[in-house]
Amino acid sequence: MDHFPLSWGRPRNDAVDAYGTFPIQQRPNHGQDTFSSGIQHTQQPIVTGTSVLAIKFKDGIMMAADNLASYGSLARFRDIKRLHAVGEHTVIGAGGDMGDFQYIQSIMDELMIDEFAAQDGHALGPAEVHNYLSELMYARRSKMDPLWNAILVGGFKDGQRFLAFVDLLGTTYSASTLATGYGAHIAQPLLRRAVEGREDTLDAAEAEKIIEQSMQVLFYRDARSLDKYQIATITAEGVKISESRKLETSWSFAEGIRGYGAQTQ
Amino acid sequence: MFLTRSEYDRGVNTFSPEGRLFQVEYAMEAIKLGSTTVGIRTPNGVVLAVEKRVHSPLLESSSIEKIMEIDVHLGCAMSGLTADARTMIDHARVTAQNHSFTYDEKIKVESVAQAVCDLALRFGESVHDEEAMMSRPFGVALLIAGIDELGPQLYHTDPSGTSIKYDAKAIGSGSEAAQSELQDKWHKQMTLQEAQILTLRVLKQVMEEKLDQHNVQVAQVTAEKGFEILDETSLKSVIELM
Amino acid sequence: MQHVAVPHAQPQQRQFNPYSENGGTILAIAGANFSVIAGDTRQSEGYSIQTRYAPKVFRLTDKAVLATNGFAADGNMFVKKVRQRLEWYRHAHAKDMPLRAIARLIQTMLYARRFFPYYVYNILGGIEEDGSGAVYSFDPVGSYEREACRAAGAASSLVQPFLDNQIYFKNQTPAPGTTHPAHLPLSHVLSLVIDSFTSATERHIEVGDGLEIYVVLAKGSALQGLDAIQGLSELTTTDDGERMFVIRRNLKRD
Repeated sequence: MDHFPLSWGRPRNDAVDAYGTFPIQQRPNHGQDTFSSGIQHTQQPIVTGTSVLAIKFKDGIMMAADNLASYGSLARFRDIKRLHAVGEHTVIGAGGDMGDFQYIQSIMDELMIDEFAAQDGHALGPAEVHNYLSELMYARRSKMDPLWNAILVGGFKDGQRFLAFVDLLGTTYSASTLATGYGAHIAQPLLRRAVEGREDTLDAAEAEKIIEQSMQVLFYRDARSLDKYQIATITAEGVKISESRKLETSWSFAEGIRGYGAQTQ
Repeated sequence: MFLTRSEYDRGVNTFSPEGRLFQVEYAMEAIKLGSTTVGIRTPNGVVLAVEKRVHSPLLESSSIEKIMEIDVHLGCAMSGLTADARTMIDHARVTAQNHSFTYDEKIKVESVAQAVCDLALRFGESVHDEEAMMSRPFGVALLIAGIDELGPQLYHTDPSGTSIKYDAKAIGSGSEAAQSELQDKWHKQMTLQEAQILTLRVLKQVMEEKLDQHNVQVAQVTAEKGFEILDETSLKSVIELM
Repeated sequence: MQHVAVPHAQPQQRQFNPYSENGGTILAIAGANFSVIAGDTRQSEGYSIQTRYAPKVFRLTDKAVLATNGFAADGNMFVKKVRQRLEWYRHAHAKDMPLRAIARLIQTMLYARRFFPYYVYNILGGIEEDGSGAVYSFDPVGSYEREACRAAGAASSLVQPFLDNQIYFKNQTPAPGTTHPAHLPLSHVLSLVIDSFTSATERHIEVGDGLEIYVVLAKGSALQGLDAIQGLSELTTTDDGERMFVIRRNLKRD
């Protein structure tokens, strides 16, 4: 996944090296598209959230996202909630356009109220929520009017863990570690190394440690991230979304860096 | 207290207190006024035969069309208001063509019969405030004959939208006598020719005029040749065999 | 004062592109009385592996298997819609849809979206009504044909030439007095499939992680050595019909 939400849902351009820094960092330029002359619901994400991380552990799912919503490169809103509980068994976490995500939250809240009102003894679990979301996202992309998000759905119901992804194209997948946006590049390899093969033995404390370290790396590396974040834990006991917490970071190493910028010696 | 019968036969979709739909029942009556139509199933194919009432010597008997093709493997004979049958057969033909377009296979006989019945029940239906497309039930019954992967089959459909599979079936004015005759004479291992002869014998019994190649029509569906209407010469030879 | 020439860029397109490409490769081979349909399980976008297990081979009926490749969201939605149509057909016509009818249905469903296509390459495999093994391949807008073998997806340009050579014996001259066989035995076909995927995994970055091979055997045909294959499990539901198996294997994850 491209770490610039602006590039999501646009064609990849293999002629441009997304990681190239010389002579100047380029963004893939998509000029001529097959559909460019058609009707355009021209849009782009405006206020965006960055990575969401999630892993499976022994008792359920753990998910994390920071509290920042950026307006371009401006850190615009610093207390945005990007993790949202849907019913008793599910949490959704989103990157991408925060307006679209808040709209999705309202749809999910309404859905859960309707389901509750039915009083039919059925509660929607994470699998159902994920399927509903993927239908919604795919339907909107098919109208060429997408909801500009990448969403993780995590949950625990009937003794089963559930963790899956859905994005603005309606693309879905499931794995024991997931990350959106910049996290898909930076954190996902770390999460895979820490979690794969240990999903059934990791306890909550170990899982939290892994998540925390990954969030820390992201904060060091991702310019659109914040050191204030929340962790959601979904287990047989239900959903728990933590208060915002602060990442412990150390910048003292910066003193020792030589070779970049102005230096006195 | 109880309203008389006549007050429940206005609306096509109004049940009487006894649970009857009079307009549908009247439509069934219309079939009993139609000319007799017979169908027989054999292991080798299905035979359909109809009586053509030639009211006048000036009438061109070949213009009376009571047996029609639905698809290469499907035919249909009618009794009642034959004009109504055109709509139904049109629907059956479109359904059969759509099926082979979409699935690259011949539609089953049962499915065609079911499609026709679906249409038969659409009277009185309207969308929003628009006029209903069909104001009354069809006044016609069909014998649908065909061959599919389940072998030769014969279906009867009526204005109530019911379709029933038969080994042999008679409809129309002489149907009661004809049906009991079929019950006596039909057997499992009939040849196609025996079936042709039986249909004509049954028709002969219930017809007022003397039966000849001008006032009856015979058609058959076989695995080899599909649906075909017997031409006058082959019809004549069957009549001679009677 | 020096004038700085600002390159006057074209009006920037902010066009939403509703498609993506999710890598992977699929492949199917028809035998005289069997059909083999396979696909890897990696799903990727660009250089990122999204998941190591996202199936793209799907059992449709007791004797039909569909493999989809291209844009995963379209693929999953397409399979969902095909399954819905199969169920409607079962209700309307009181039988499972025959393979050749499924093939035609897929064509009409794909072509119905001619002007907003499902960006998916489909390969349908299974057993025909006459008991022969069959493979149908499709392009995204519904052109289709029955073939003996077909590869599609990211590594199709690597695998198809290999199959042309090994199945159709292209560029091979039979020994004097002999001819090439029209159909290969099952065990031979399975080793070709496994070799195809291990090779594609070596040379194509979007192929790897896992391999799923579906095998459909015509009514009454022998196992033909299938029971000796490791990673095999049976999916057959009826006693007197076609038999279906799946072989799950690992591929390299790098």
